[in-house]
Amino acid sequence: MAASSLSTQTHFNPTPPKTHLGLFNQNQVVLYGKTTTTTCRRRFISCSAEDKTVVIGLAADSGCGKSTFMRRLTSVFGGAAEPPKGGNPDSNTLISEMTTVICLDDYHSLDRTGRKEKGVTALDPRANDFDLMYHQVKAIKEGIPVDKPIYNHVSGLLDPPELIKPPKILVIEGLHPMYDARVRELLDFSIYLDISNEVKFAWKIQRDMAERGHSLESIKASIDARKSDFDAYIDPQKQYADAVIQVLPTQLIPDDNEGNVLRVRLIMKEGVKYFDPVYLFDEGSTISWIPCGRKLTCSYPGIKFTYCPDTYYGHEVSVLEMDGQFDRLDELIYVESHLSNISTKFYGEVTQQMLKHADFPGSNNGTGLFQTIIGLKIRDLYEQITRTKTAAPLEATKA
Amino acid sequence: MAAIAGVSITTPKIFASASVRSPKPSPIKLSLLNSPWKSCTTHLRMYVRPVAAAPDKLSDKVEESIKNAQEACSEDPVSGECVAAWDEVEELSAAASHAKDKNKDSDPLENYCKDNPETDECRTYDN
Repeated sequence: MAASSLSTQTHFNPTPPKTHLGLFNQNQVVLYGKTTTTTCRRRFISCSAEDKTVVIGLAADSGCGKSTFMRRLTSVFGGAAEPPKGGNPDSNTLISEMTTVICLDDYHSLDRTGRKEKGVTALDPRANDFDLMYHQVKAIKEGIPVDKPIYNHVSGLLDPPELIKPPKILVIEGLHPMYDARVRELLDFSIYLDISNEVKFAWKIQRDMAERGHSLESIKASIDARKSDFDAYIDPQKQYADAVIQVLPTQLIPDDNEGNVLRVRLIMKEGVKYFDPVYLFDEGSTISWIPCGRKLTCSYPGIKFTYCPDTYYGHEVSVLEMDGQFDRLDELIYVESHLSNISTKFYGEVTQQMLKHADFPGSNNGTGLFQTIIGLKIRDLYEQITRTKTAAPLEATKA
Repeated sequence: MAAIAGVSITTPKIFASASVRSPKPSPIKLSLLNSPWKSCTTHLRMYVRPVAAAPDKLSDKVEESIKNAQEACSEDPVSGECVAAWDEVEELSAAASHAKDKNKDSDPLENYCKDNPETDECRTYDN
């Protein structure tokens, strides 16, 4: 009996004790093995409940709101994420107490001059080292620190590596988190930001028009030139994502071409472990809801919600859609009180998070709302995973 | 009261007001004046850290890359060079916009106090 319980225990700590700074709690389990002699041999088995890091993948094209999403996500867990202190100032990594965000541009195999010579874009898989990405993410997931290269966006060169210590939650964001099948297997949850062409164009105009040298034509040419690589390599990743945030132009204003009001759809895959999709009123039914009426007054163009089950690339999904903008705090809290399965710890948590970052882009429409909700769902997923890991060793000791 | 105004009978204490928007060296001067017994070297050492690229350099790079892209594409619009050149433009524009956001948020006093909360200028009294 002692032998069999020993064998199950060793499963949780196959590697020898790690010599670097251990950030995880060690639960020491002492087993007394009875042998035929009168002496009792003590066996120390240590089980680290937080040995394995939870890995989240976020895919989106450049200029689509990855940084904003990252800031919202890390804020849900508490604390601000900052670049590593004392390291390379052009590092793309962000570290907070619970999370570390890695930019997958650091795994470029070709630097800017290399890509120019070969005539490939950063979107092309040939410019990225997927083997290194897989091995390093796997190592971090198992609790082993890695020396990750740095891609300097300013100089366009690959800088000397920086040390990444395994955090509780690792977020890998970039163009190809779900491209390689092996990396896909390591992800506990994956998100894809799908921005439609019109909205992308409007956002890039807002971002780039103030820059010297840019004009409407140059922005359009840049988008068009990258489109074929984007459609070939980046876009297909959305079929693998557990959640897709799709941003489209609004349907509330006919012939709107300003792109200020957005229609945002949160497409959530059914059957994902530890993830229950958000729903409105009745799970699995089709609901169309306009909250503005007698209890709530909204200004033009108002807010419209839709919820329905659907299929997306052959998977069963639930789609929650918001069209319109929030103008006032009470609209936001009213909407929050009617959504279900949002994994908040207290009433008004979504509103509080949105208000905390009211200056972020998208704080008054579905992009900010759904990003905040996904952040809370990820927190819930993380807590469920760590709860099952602490429960499993206890089960084994009872046996 | 007199201390807040910046003129005091005893030790001159200079408080950084919210309207002060001066370049980086000002926190060094403030703390030196308030606590003259602290040596200059420690403060200077604190401040000599590698600085990320200034946005002006990036803006020039963006402009240059747009010109290169337009030249590369005038020859052959569907070649790899043309596409790679516009990709470079996109990458530099993104970097420039991130750098601009980072600079927009940074307040010299807040940055100094984040690293040195125990110094006189940064002490807060909440209770």
